[in-house]
Amino acid sequence: MARISILSDQVANQIAAGEVIERPASIVKELVENSLDAGATSIEVEFKKGGSNYIRIEDNGCGMSKDDALLSLERHATSKIKSASDLNRLSSMGFRGEAIPSIASVSRFLLQTREPGSEGGTEVLIDAGKLIRCRECGMPPGTRITVSQLFNSVPARRKFVKTVATESAHIVHNTRLHALAHPEVSFALIDDGRMLFQTPACPKLKDRVMEIFGKAATGNLIEVDEEEGGLRLSGLIGAPGHSRSSRHEMLFFVNNRPVENRTLGYALIESYHGHIPKGRYPVGFLFLEIPPSQVDVNVHPAKSEIRFRNEASVRGFAVRSILKALKETVEIGVAPVELGLRKANRLVAKTSTQPVHAPKEISQTESSRTRAESGPVTREGPACEETEHGVLTVGAPSEGHHVTEVPTPSSLDRSWQFVGWARGDLALFDTESGIVFLDARAAQRRIWYERVLIAYRNQSVQSQALLLPIPLGLDPVSSAVLSDNMELLETYGFIASPFGRNFFRIESVPTWLPEGDAGTFVSDLVDLLRRGDLSDKNKNANEDRLANHASRRVVNGTPTPGDDEIPSLLEELFETKNPLADPDGRPTFIEIPRRELNRRFHRGSVDSYKAEL
Amino acid sequence: MKFKIHRDHFSNGLQQVLNVVGSKASMPILSNVLIEANGETLSLTTTNLDLGICTRIKANVEEEGAITLPVKRLATIIKELPNSDVKVEASPNNQVKITSGGSLFKIMGISRDEFPALPEFSDDRSFTIEQANLANMLKSVSYAQSSDETRYMLNGVYFTFSEPEDSNGSGKLSLVATDGRRLAKIDYEMEVGEGLSGSLILPAKTVSELTRLIDKGENLKIAFNDRRVAFQIHTKDEADGFVGDILLVSKVVEGNYPNYQQVIPKETHQRIKVERELFLQSIHRAALVATDKSNSVKIQISNNLMELSASSPDFGESHESLAIDYSGPDLQVAFNPAFLMDPLKALSKDEIFFELKDEVSPGVFKTLESFLCVIMPVRYT
Repeated sequence: MARISILSDQVANQIAAGEVIERPASIVKELVENSLDAGATSIEVEFKKGGSNYIRIEDNGCGMSKDDALLSLERHATSKIKSASDLNRLSSMGFRGEAIPSIASVSRFLLQTREPGSEGGTEVLIDAGKLIRCRECGMPPGTRITVSQLFNSVPARRKFVKTVATESAHIVHNTRLHALAHPEVSFALIDDGRMLFQTPACPKLKDRVMEIFGKAATGNLIEVDEEEGGLRLSGLIGAPGHSRSSRHEMLFFVNNRPVENRTLGYALIESYHGHIPKGRYPVGFLFLEIPPSQVDVNVHPAKSEIRFRNEASVRGFAVRSILKALKETVEIGVAPVELGLRKANRLVAKTSTQPVHAPKEISQTESSRTRAESGPVTREGPACEETEHGVLTVGAPSEGHHVTEVPTPSSLDRSWQFVGWARGDLALFDTESGIVFLDARAAQRRIWYERVLIAYRNQSVQSQALLLPIPLGLDPVSSAVLSDNMELLETYGFIASPFGRNFFRIESVPTWLPEGDAGTFVSDLVDLLRRGDLSDKNKNANEDRLANHASRRVVNGTPTPGDDEIPSLLEELFETKNPLADPDGRPTFIEIPRRELNRRFHRGSVDSYKAEL
Repeated sequence: MKFKIHRDHFSNGLQQVLNVVGSKASMPILSNVLIEANGETLSLTTTNLDLGICTRIKANVEEEGAITLPVKRLATIIKELPNSDVKVEASPNNQVKITSGGSLFKIMGISRDEFPALPEFSDDRSFTIEQANLANMLKSVSYAQSSDETRYMLNGVYFTFSEPEDSNGSGKLSLVATDGRRLAKIDYEMEVGEGLSGSLILPAKTVSELTRLIDKGENLKIAFNDRRVAFQIHTKDEADGFVGDILLVSKVVEGNYPNYQQVIPKETHQRIKVERELFLQSIHRAALVATDKSNSVKIQISNNLMELSASSPDFGESHESLAIDYSGPDLQVAFNPAFLMDPLKALSKDEIFFELKDEVSPGVFKTLESFLCVIMPVRYT
């Protein structure tokens, strides 16, 4: 008997299913992608018990004829590509023609579909890869697929299905991703008869994010939209200081396909250096549009991983774009305070008329089969935006400026009115748009950090010679480290000379260093050198560490500012490049918006409240 | 205790003592003034345990006694009283009744028993000096004191009384202050008897109180031992109501003042005569662009010309030129502008000498009197 035989289609499908259908969420992913490829404008996903018992996906897409429906159950049957060269121009979600047969081979699979033009629909029922029946049925145009008894035919796989909660979480996550990627499609997600979310077609990504992640999440987001050399990065990122403890809200979409990609992940994290605390992760919903030929999606069967042909350029572009958006935020954030402090008449109003993320143009291959077109949505002036949220434009300038809804706190204030101190070092301010808590320590740290950086940015470092050198005794190891790094320290303005065994004299210190810190500061530097945090290799990293350390050291050594120092503190803070966060990325101030206060006090809007009074 | 007093005299007296109050919540009595009615005078005493002041003013005492009252509030009340005749009466339960015209105040005091007495000590080492002289000397050096608490012995002015070096010379008092970056020193010739040499570090707070107090009379007597110093400041202005001396008793900073002699350059290299006001204004203008405190002013000296320049990367540059009488080699050195301006502001003579050597050596201001100020340069690395 021949030892090698060709596997039957059914076995092959079950094996393929092993790769494509990892868990119930994979089915949701594959089928939602199919629906999107079918141009659906409304997709409903329902599942029960984590999806292993029941998954239903229903869309209003283009449907299939009876022949197509039957053919779709064959392996490698697809409408999405015709030849391998099409892979380079791929813009549809799927292309392998594996999903449906794979799913059908491991479950009880009911496919109901109707083309918009035809009179009736087709119903195909398959159980563990065997065709049970095929008949006509009545239904609205579109496709409905019901998958039940998942993995009944592959008990081994069933053992790997995790708890209901875990599997549900995966399905929810997956559906959210697709919902985010396609704000123009209305989504509904139902778990065991309970509506998890239902979102109408949203004109803007921000609305979609709000629908899915809740109102609170959108308050701290800023928009990114940059284009460069055929690449476009758009979406929303967290305002500086807004961070999460995990990467769960770092979501990337490449050509509207949710992906996990290190290049983009690192680009986002790198861009937030200094804007959020160490060990925290930024928030970002980022959409990269890239010519299909520049990206390889055929890396992983589930297509959740992709590769860029030129990783460095994508990364560079992403970092530049994100940094630019962050910088603009900071500038917007600064403006109002300058207003307050200087009573100046100018208001930085950045009217953004660029289109926010809009569904991209459909590419060559399959324009006929792809989703409904929706033109780029231009953003309106802010007025309607604000009323939409029931928020008053208090104190908005009357000059007819359009003011963007600024993601950072306190965008439109005339002034920050100092109210008092809380917990010793939190300064409270009453502002037009709410209440601001300023962490005086963090603010001082930011100021010092930049002061020191500026001192080192100059061509030459200024070093104040000491009349009375400061003696410094060190342990033998530290002494050796200091002896080896005298020249490095000298470039930062610290001049020390040996003065006996394990003993040194500090003869000159940088001019920025306040009196009295020299001894401890130099021994701190020696510690940094020992740990390898300072080295003669990376000048920028050294300066950053030094400035960071100096800011902490100096601020710890100075008293909290007095009331009379508040104005100058604010002024200096807002002259810095990033007044929103301290050098470690912790926020320098937070704002409780007036609308939040009103909501908590059940006041409704300020005006109506006053009217009641 | 019961006395009558002129409002302004009382107020003047309180003004002298009210700066010295304790900050410790654990000893509330330290924020009080001790009022003692004795004979024809009222003595007012405050202390924060490190520093104490006692002054005496004229009063019409009807019943002797003593009480302590919160000094800040009391001073405010007395100053605002409607009538210049003030009657004060203390009852045994430490309540004090103050009446003036139609005003009546009842203030709760604390018994005098808890008030720490000003320390007394033998004045075996004592000197007398003119108030105006000492005031001038303190002004000449006190800006150079350090405020860095880690080097506490620099937080004050160092007084040294030294005996004549030989039989022809005379003794002198030197005052020195330094913050480790610049040092100011002034000498004053005076009689110092044999065996009376000695030195003390007067704390910064006492320096400022003393400076405030010494414009009231001719002389003052200074007496000190290892731990304390006392100043008896003569007052002559009867019109203000003062009687006798104001007594200021202070702890000294305990520790060894650094050997400052060795940091004063022994040799003069290049000496430039500058006009104080002119030089001061030029530095001030040059430093205007150096908004950040850490910036420096560069001084370039060439034949008969002094140029001052400063720059800030964000803002711009400044240049100042001054004609000077100079024919030595060209040289260039940079300083912290505040360090240059402080002594120039403190001095009153117009003719000043500025001595320089090179970019890593200190600059020295000198006057024909015995003043000098050593300033360390800012180096560019």
